[in-house]
Amino acid sequence: MDSEMLLSCALDIGEKMLISGAEISRVEDSVKRICKAYDVKRIDVFTITSSMVATLEDKDGKSITETRRITKHHTDLTKLHKLNDLSRKIVRRVPDIHYIRNQIDEIEKGTKEYNLPIQCTVSALIAGAFAIFFGGAFLDGIAAALIGIVLKLIVYATEKTQVNMIFANVVCSFAVCSIAFAFVMLGFGYSTDKIIIGNIMLLIPGVALTNSIRDMISGDIMAGMLRFCEACLVSLAIAAGYIIAALIFGGIGK
Amino acid sequence: MTYFIQILTGTLGAFGFAILYNLRGTKLLIATLGGALSWGTYLFFGIWFHSEPLRYFFAAIAVTIYAEIFARIKKTPTSTFLIVPMIPLIPGGVLYYTMSYALKNDWNNFVTSAFYTIKLAMALAVGIIVVSTLVRMFSAVLKFLRDKNGNKKDRKET
Repeated sequence: MDSEMLLSCALDIGEKMLISGAEISRVEDSVKRICKAYDVKRIDVFTITSSMVATLEDKDGKSITETRRITKHHTDLTKLHKLNDLSRKIVRRVPDIHYIRNQIDEIEKGTKEYNLPIQCTVSALIAGAFAIFFGGAFLDGIAAALIGIVLKLIVYATEKTQVNMIFANVVCSFAVCSIAFAFVMLGFGYSTDKIIIGNIMLLIPGVALTNSIRDMISGDIMAGMLRFCEACLVSLAIAAGYIIAALIFGGIGK
Repeated sequence: MTYFIQILTGTLGAFGFAILYNLRGTKLLIATLGGALSWGTYLFFGIWFHSEPLRYFFAAIAVTIYAEIFARIKKTPTSTFLIVPMIPLIPGGVLYYTMSYALKNDWNNFVTSAFYTIKLAMALAVGIIVVSTLVRMFSAVLKFLRDKNGNKKDRKET
C-alpha cells in the first residue's frame, strides 16, 4: 500500500468536502476514517476553514505530512453528498487507491450545477420572496426580484474573475442599494428597506455566522473564529456598499 | 394571513437557496419543506413566548431533528437538510437595520442591534448543538448495546 497516495487521496476528499460546505468535524472525521481503514499506525488531522494539515504514520513507522490550502468556498450539497458516499464506501470496502482516484475525478467532473439562467431566475425568486417575507408590498417584491437578477450576474462575474471577496461584496451591495433607491424614486416600489433586505439575503453570511458559532461550541475554536471574522468583515463590506449608495442618493431620511 | 404569506415566501426563499446550493430531486423537496417547518415552528412558539431568541432556539431544535432524521433516511450529511431550512431564520433584517443605524450615527441602537444579531445566531447555533449532541450520544449508546449483544444484526456502516 502506497501511504503517500493514500494520504493524498484522503486529503483530496477532505478538501473537496470542506469547499462544498461540510463542517470541520465531519471533514477531520472522514480523513481519519479513510486512513484508518488502510491499517495505518497513526493519523492526525488539523483543519481550519482555510487550511488542512495531516500527518500519517504507516506500519513501518515512516511518517508523511501533507497540507492543503483552501482559498475559496462554494456550497454544493450534491457534491458533498457524493463525497460522503465515497468516503463511506472506502471505509466499508477498502478498495484499491487507483479506484479512489478515479472516483474523485469522476465526482469533480460529473457534478453539474444548475445553469446561469436558472440561477438568475432563482435569485430573483429569493430576493422577491424575502422582500415580501420581511413585510414589503407585492410591488416591492417585483422590484427586488428584478434587482436579484442583476445581483446574480454581478456575483457570477466576480466569481469568474476571482475579485477580492471583500471588494466584491462592496460592489454587489452598492449596486443593489443604488438600483433600489433609483426604483423607489421612480415610483417603482414603496420601501427601499424591504427591497434591499430581500437582496441582502442573497449576500449575507448568515449561514457562515451560525456555523462559526457551531464550530466554536463544538471545540473547533480556531476554525470558528476565522469564520466569524470572515462573516463580520463581509457584513461590514455590505454595510459599506449600502452607505456609499445611501450617501450618493441621499436616501438617508427615508 | 400575514403568517400564511410569511410561511409561503420563506419556503419559496428556501427553495431558491436549495437550487443555488445544487440540490436535486427528493432532496430538493425535503430541504424546501424544512423551510416551511422552521418558520412554522417559529410562529407556533409565538403563541407562548414573545422572546425572539427563544423562538429561534426552538425552531433550530425542530429543524435539526428534522434534518437528522432525513439525513439518516437519505444517507447524506446532516448539513444537506440543515443549511437550507435555516434560511428563513437567518437574521438578515436585523443586520440591515444594524447597518442603517451606523449610517444615521445612532451608535446606541447600532450596538444594541449588532448584539441582537449575534444573540439570534447564538440561539440558532445552540439549538443545533443541543440536538446533534444528543443524537450522537444516543447513537453511541445504541452502538454500544448492539456490540454487547454479540453483533446479532449485520454490521451496519457507521
